[in-house]
Amino acid sequence: MKITDACVYPYPVGDSSVRRFALEARSFGYDSIVAADTPAAEVCGITVIPGIFLAGIPAKDVQSRVKKSRGTGAVIAVQVGDNGFNRAVASTNGVHILRGIHAADKRAFDHVAAKIAADNNTALDIDLAPLIFGRGHLRQKAIHRYIDLMILYRRFEFPLTISSSARSVLGMRAVREVTGLCSLFGMDETDVQVALAGVGRVTGPVESVVKVIT
Amino acid sequence: MSIRPPTLREKRRYLLARIDPAETPVETKDLYYAVYEAVVSLFGDMAAAAMQPSVLAIESGHAILRCRRGAEREFAIALSTLSACRDYTLAVRVLAVSGTIESLRERIATLVPQEPDVPAQDGAGEGVPDAGPCEYRFGTTPVEPVVWHGHKVDVIEKGFKNTRRLFLTTEDLEKIHATTIPDGL
Repeated sequence: MKITDACVYPYPVGDSSVRRFALEARSFGYDSIVAADTPAAEVCGITVIPGIFLAGIPAKDVQSRVKKSRGTGAVIAVQVGDNGFNRAVASTNGVHILRGIHAADKRAFDHVAAKIAADNNTALDIDLAPLIFGRGHLRQKAIHRYIDLMILYRRFEFPLTISSSARSVLGMRAVREVTGLCSLFGMDETDVQVALAGVGRVTGPVESVVKVIT
Repeated sequence: MSIRPPTLREKRRYLLARIDPAETPVETKDLYYAVYEAVVSLFGDMAAAAMQPSVLAIESGHAILRCRRGAEREFAIALSTLSACRDYTLAVRVLAVSGTIESLRERIATLVPQEPDVPAQDGAGEGVPDAGPCEYRFGTTPVEPVVWHGHKVDVIEKGFKNTRRLFLTTEDLEKIHATTIPDGL
C-alpha cells in the first residue's frame, strides 16, 4: 500500500523541481507522488507517477485523450463538470480520478454518479488546497462538499484519493497534517490511510468482487 | 489580576514548529497575527478564545507556540492552514509538543546543525553559501543559491524582474564554467 499525494505541479507550473518535491515528500511520509506533465521516475526512493489532468473539455474529447495516453502508465484525472458529464466520465474506462469536487455544483455528484464511480473503480479526489489556502466562503463550500462526499463514500465505497495540488513544496502537507485537515469533514485516520493509498487502488489490477474458492 | 498559585493556573502546552522556507525574516508579532487569523478563520472566535494561541519566540528558524492543554490537535490543524505572514509565503511544520519551553529549546539545539567550516556548495552541508566564483543555472535560467540544506537548495532567479524563489536540489543545478559560456573567450 503506497501513500501517494495524488497531484503536485512541479516546475515550470510551480516553483519547485520534481526532485525537490520527491525529497520533501519522503520527509513528509509519502511513498509516491503524481506529478503533472512529468515522465515516470524513481527519485530518492519516491515513485514519481506521471499525471494527466484534463479540464474544460467535453466527454468525447476525454475519451479520445484517454485512448491516446493508454499504456503510458499515467494517472488520468478529469475535472468534474455537471451531473451528466460526471456520470459519463466516471463510466469511461481509463479515467482514474475525478477532481475538483470542491468547486462543483452541489448536484454535480449524486448517488447515481457515486454508484457508477464505485462500479468502474474511479476515484474521487479530495483536494486540500481550498482548505489550506481558502478562507471564508470558499473553504466553507469545500468542507460542505467533502461532508456530502463522505456520506456517499460510506454508502457506495468508491475509491478516494487525497491531493495537495501543491505548486510549491510550501503547499505540501505531511501525512499527519493531512489526517488533521481531513478530520474537519469527518474522515478518521483509517479513512485517510485508505484514501492516501487510493492511487494504487485505481491504477492497479481490478480485484474481482466475488472470489471463487475451489 | 494577580498571579495565581501553580495549582490554580491553567495548564498549557508548547509546540515547536519549523518555519519553511529557511531564512525567512519573520517577526514574532507578525507570526502571532498570522497564527491568530488562521485559528479564527478556521474555528471561530469561541474556539480561539478557548484555545488561547500565542507565539512565544522565534529561534533559529523555529517558532515556539503556546496553547491551552487539550487544544494542541486543533491548534496544529489551524497551523497547517497557515500559508503566509505579511508578504512572505511560508509554511509552519509542527515538530513537537511539550509541557515545557525548556525541552523544546533542547530540541531546537539538536535540530539546528552546526555551522559548516567550508561553504556548503557541494550539497553536503548547510547554510548560506559564500559569494564565490561559481555561478549556477537551472535549465536555461541563471540562478543564485540563497540557502543550502543538504541536497535541498533554494535559489533566486537572476534578472531585473519576475525573479522568484525556486526550490531545487543540487542535482537540478548546473555549474556555469567560463568554457561553457559561448562568448566567454
